[in-house]
Amino acid sequence: MIKTDVIIIGGGSTGCGIARDLALRDIPHCLIEKGDFAAGATGACQGLLHSGGRYAVNDPEAAAECISENMILRKIGIKCVEQTGGLFVRLPGDSKRFRDMFLKSCEETGISTEVLSPSRALELVPSLSPSLEEAIKVPDCSIDPFRLCMLNITSSQKRGGEILTHNRVIDIIREHGRCVGVKVQEESTSEVREIRGKIIVNAAGAWGDNIASLAGSTVPMTLSKGSLIVTNHRLTNMVINRLRPSSDGDIIVPNEAVCLAGTTSITVTDPDSSDVDPAEVDIIATQAQQLLPEFVTTRLIRTYAGVRPLLKADGGDDRKISRSFKIMDHKNGMFSIMGGKLTTYRLMAEKISDRVMEALGLKTRCRTAELPLEGQEELSGYPLCNRLKILENIVCECELVTADEVEKVAREIGTRHIGDIQHRTRLGMGPCQGGFCTYRALGIMQETGKMTPEASMQVLREFLQRRFKGIKPALWGDQLREEQLVESICLGILGMEQGQ
Amino acid sequence: MSGTYDVVIIGGGMSGMMAAVALADMGRKIAVVSRGDPVCCLSTGCIDVLAAGNDPLEGIGSLPDNHPYRLVGKDTLTASLEMFRTVMSEECGAYVGDVNANRRILTPLGRHKVTCLVPATMEFADFHSDEYIHVISFNEMKDFYPNYITSRYKNSGCSIFDAGISTTMSIAERFENRQFLEAFISWLKGLDIPEGRIAIPAVLGMHFAVNVYNEISVELGRKVFEIPTLPPSMPGLRLFGGLKNALLKRGVDLYWGKEIYSVEKSGGQIEAVTLAGAGRSARVQGNAFILATGSFVSGGLHASMDAATETAFDLPVYLPGKRKSWFNDDFFAPGHAIEKSGICVDQSFRPVDSRIENLFVCGSILAFSEVMKYGCGHGMAIATGVAAANVCGELA
Amino acid sequence: MNLDFQHCIRCTICVANCPVSRVNPDFPGPKQAGPDAERFRSDNKTSIDKWIRLCNQCKRCEVSCPYGVNPAQIILREQVQYGGKHFRPLASRVFANNYWLGAVNSVIAPIVNRLAPMKFIKRILNIFGISTYLPFPQFHIHTLSRSWRWKGRRESRKKVVLFYGCFLNYNRPDLGRDVRDFLASLGLRVIMPRQVCCGLPALGNGDIETARKFARKNARILAGYIDKGYDVIYTCTSCGLALTQDYPGILEVPHGRKVSENSYNLHEYVLKLMEEHYIEPVFEPFRRKVAYHIPCHLRALGIGYPAAGLFAKIPGLEIVILEDNCCGLSGSYGFKRSNEDTAVRLGITAARAVKDIDPDMLVSDCGACRMQLAHFSGIPAVDPSEILIKSLTTGFEDSRGRVKGRKL
Repeated sequence: MIKTDVIIIGGGSTGCGIARDLALRDIPHCLIEKGDFAAGATGACQGLLHSGGRYAVNDPEAAAECISENMILRKIGIKCVEQTGGLFVRLPGDSKRFRDMFLKSCEETGISTEVLSPSRALELVPSLSPSLEEAIKVPDCSIDPFRLCMLNITSSQKRGGEILTHNRVIDIIREHGRCVGVKVQEESTSEVREIRGKIIVNAAGAWGDNIASLAGSTVPMTLSKGSLIVTNHRLTNMVINRLRPSSDGDIIVPNEAVCLAGTTSITVTDPDSSDVDPAEVDIIATQAQQLLPEFVTTRLIRTYAGVRPLLKADGGDDRKISRSFKIMDHKNGMFSIMGGKLTTYRLMAEKISDRVMEALGLKTRCRTAELPLEGQEELSGYPLCNRLKILENIVCECELVTADEVEKVAREIGTRHIGDIQHRTRLGMGPCQGGFCTYRALGIMQETGKMTPEASMQVLREFLQRRFKGIKPALWGDQLREEQLVESICLGILGMEQGQ
Repeated sequence: MSGTYDVVIIGGGMSGMMAAVALADMGRKIAVVSRGDPVCCLSTGCIDVLAAGNDPLEGIGSLPDNHPYRLVGKDTLTASLEMFRTVMSEECGAYVGDVNANRRILTPLGRHKVTCLVPATMEFADFHSDEYIHVISFNEMKDFYPNYITSRYKNSGCSIFDAGISTTMSIAERFENRQFLEAFISWLKGLDIPEGRIAIPAVLGMHFAVNVYNEISVELGRKVFEIPTLPPSMPGLRLFGGLKNALLKRGVDLYWGKEIYSVEKSGGQIEAVTLAGAGRSARVQGNAFILATGSFVSGGLHASMDAATETAFDLPVYLPGKRKSWFNDDFFAPGHAIEKSGICVDQSFRPVDSRIENLFVCGSILAFSEVMKYGCGHGMAIATGVAAANVCGELA
Repeated sequence: MNLDFQHCIRCTICVANCPVSRVNPDFPGPKQAGPDAERFRSDNKTSIDKWIRLCNQCKRCEVSCPYGVNPAQIILREQVQYGGKHFRPLASRVFANNYWLGAVNSVIAPIVNRLAPMKFIKRILNIFGISTYLPFPQFHIHTLSRSWRWKGRRESRKKVVLFYGCFLNYNRPDLGRDVRDFLASLGLRVIMPRQVCCGLPALGNGDIETARKFARKNARILAGYIDKGYDVIYTCTSCGLALTQDYPGILEVPHGRKVSENSYNLHEYVLKLMEEHYIEPVFEPFRRKVAYHIPCHLRALGIGYPAAGLFAKIPGLEIVILEDNCCGLSGSYGFKRSNEDTAVRLGITAARAVKDIDPDMLVSDCGACRMQLAHFSGIPAVDPSEILIKSLTTGFEDSRGRVKGRKL
């Protein structure tokens, strides 16, 4: 049994942010996550560190939060925030009235804007549609959500925080109407443990209501699924937004060596919804083509979807729901936080940590905005081309991941999940989507003794299935060729389905 | 360079090259046009005839009526495989096996894969699971992990040789160096390996692998066999190299590294193809044409968001429905629907629904070949290549 | 941004064909250097991939790619970018300006030829980064640029420009003159106009500006002749690659397309003359067993092996075609110390393939291949035109009506 002060349920950006915040205030805590970090909306987002421009007109409160946090995060997270800048592009037919409202709202919210002529915009982003009318430059950035979570957790681990990934909360223990702990089940061993604490923070995102119900409470939410598509390479080095009221497919974000284009917004009831409909892919591709014409011939390497935990709305379009966040005190020792965005995770963590401190009767203040994220020194940074300096012992050639990196991660976290290696190194996130390198990575994990051979076959099989699910909706052209090649390697050369 | 030929073969893969051999042996003047090296370079180098059952030839009877094997017939299939074996024994070494009996090779995952004809270096890969095997690997070689295999077989061992270099190609190149080979052999001898077979990843040389393999076997007095690796795959490259040399020996003109830019037709005949490239385009004229450009991987077929086209002559392509139905949800399901896609032909290997009279189609571009599902890749390529060549040779 | 690299599905066929990555572990191979790395060059503010210079631009990856991705071209663009952003070592600068080096050396040829084999000179050259494992070719005072420009009857129906290239000009002007006279004897009006280096050495050493200067000058001169109805003939396969691919391609030279479409390999042209029945040659027997080493750049030209087509017509001549190995010298590549190890390893392997067939002589279109293979195999090496001239005419008239023949 583990005893601590604060139990944090959920290892997304909010949960990890809370862990860091509490760690910096010297509060003992234990974070529980049913998968790997960023398993929910955080890991399925578009990787956009908003300037707030997108919300300036309809959701000024959220916009103000965004710009303020944007400025903070780019300071504290140099190696996980790429300061790409962003453009809001107005195409022929887009409302000029909206454009005026946009500029006015940005000014009121404190978001810096610069109006660019088409020729200037094309200089910055040559792949833009030449028919654009104008572009407005804003301080959007690109952010790596996995890295963000890892770096936040580093602060927690350095100060003795307990971090339990691949553990699922199966029950909340109550005594005299107060929440005093949780029961968790480890994924692979099915072992059940108890963790006792004074306060429980429910940062479970889309699963927030499921968790709250274990304590007899509710967290009213609207769940909205969003799908995204990943391109083979960077078509743009700046974030591109469409200058119009929010709609499907009007953002393209450069992230590492790819672009993430999206998104859609479909109300769902199941927080585990992760299927991408081919029709969604077509919608996003069509919209993206209008902004970047070469999208027509661009190879897509993967699709993915995540569920946004939005504040409860009374019907209507998901897009109109405020992206601001809300904290609920269930008055039984449990707090829930819902809504919000990746961009404002730190603020969300600060506010709920303040509430926790208040409940504990302590006064230490938040310092997460002042101190840089810890653990950034080892990471490869930006610009990307710096990573080409020395290429040695590379295991994943698409994403330049070395055997040493894989080995190090495998030893450090002793995992049996390829996904865990992927999130920390980007192995298998490139054009071949792990077709070649997974065999190598598993081979290395076996050699480090962290993976038994039986387990490795199972893992390889599961990995290939999961990977295929993400690729299937966008399988045509070059990616279809890639897939046939990978299939012939797995079945033809490796003999995966054959007997012994 | 331009030229006039009896038959012009588009696509220098297994099927196209075997068709070229067959036609050249018939005395025809042949050209082979290829955009690049073929996909068989990536294969295990083995000839899969039909995976199901012990006798691949028997299994053909249970295939669907529209499978390309049904067009070929058992006699032509057997004759074409014999032709292949004859060619290979003249080039890079004889293939081993019996067309009536499937056999197995060991894969890098420690599985046994069913195939039919194997290069000499894999003759002894079909071993009983009780027999002792000693797996050799090379220091820091990232494309081969012996523990996948040693963990699967209780009666096995492993040793690592420090070659000083660690990529498949660089090790294969080293094996053709006398000193390196001798050092390797003396190291092997020094290991005092118990009674049993020795398994080595397929890096025993490039062109002269059979010689290297024989020497190791004789010096150790043991059964040795190669395990095919992830690409770059030496056995696949040797297979291609052997066939290409066979073409050069027979005076076949190779237009390599060029794509088709335009096609000249007249009435129901293809007159010539023009090849794109820097400088002047080459015009290749022929009395008959054979299309052997392969499936989607090699670019013989191209898939757009919801349709498929044939990239050389724009022939009608059979497609099993819209994109949603191309693949199963299960990656490992035996045969995704898209594998059926390709060109439909009649008994004479001419494309149906096309008014062209002097064009023949063979290889994995044929519809319903379902190579992954039936485990019939190279066998089908060889058989249909030779069969199409036979029909075409009458015409040209 | 050229987007061909999207088509790469990592099949590694290019890697299997790359001679350098096989023997030099510091070069990650065409797939990694080309389409893989290209995804990281979108924000290429600084080029710091120094290893990119290890690619010898043999183009074997380009010829073998099943899908036309062209890694060699991607790598070349990055080599040029790197060369523009970083200090180029002395050896690179020297070879980029091969043309001027040759011009100086030819003027003082007897001195250079005397000094070159000397040990202390070699040591000095080594210090400057130039490798000396290969004996330097001989230089001559009487270069092609100082020879008679015009040959053949004025009334000839066909007119050709001979683009001879630096190697023939400075190191084998005798062969250049033989080729000139030979073409004239076929009934052509031949001119060797003013010309400069094709530009490939500069391009290969990361100096695109110098390459463009040479290329523009040549293109202007050649285009002028093409407009007057001349065809351009080249003998060196690397010059041919520059004229047909790089002039309209990466060098973006005015008239580049015109030069590209009107340039012919010598043997290709002779075959063309035969096909058009402009000449009705009789091939005299030449009884030898010859190893024909195909230069990498000849494969890249995509014109097949026209010399082999001509050799097939010569009675008694047994030709064995060797196209699987790169000789390793790769123009000026092997003359740089940093590449010496690679060049030597590849040279030894390629030479062994030649020796294994036990030929009487070795033939190759590329001067570099001839030097390298002759050195490592000990077998004398000739240009295909030397055999052709010997057989197609047992003697031909020179400008003074004397019958010349060359004993091989």
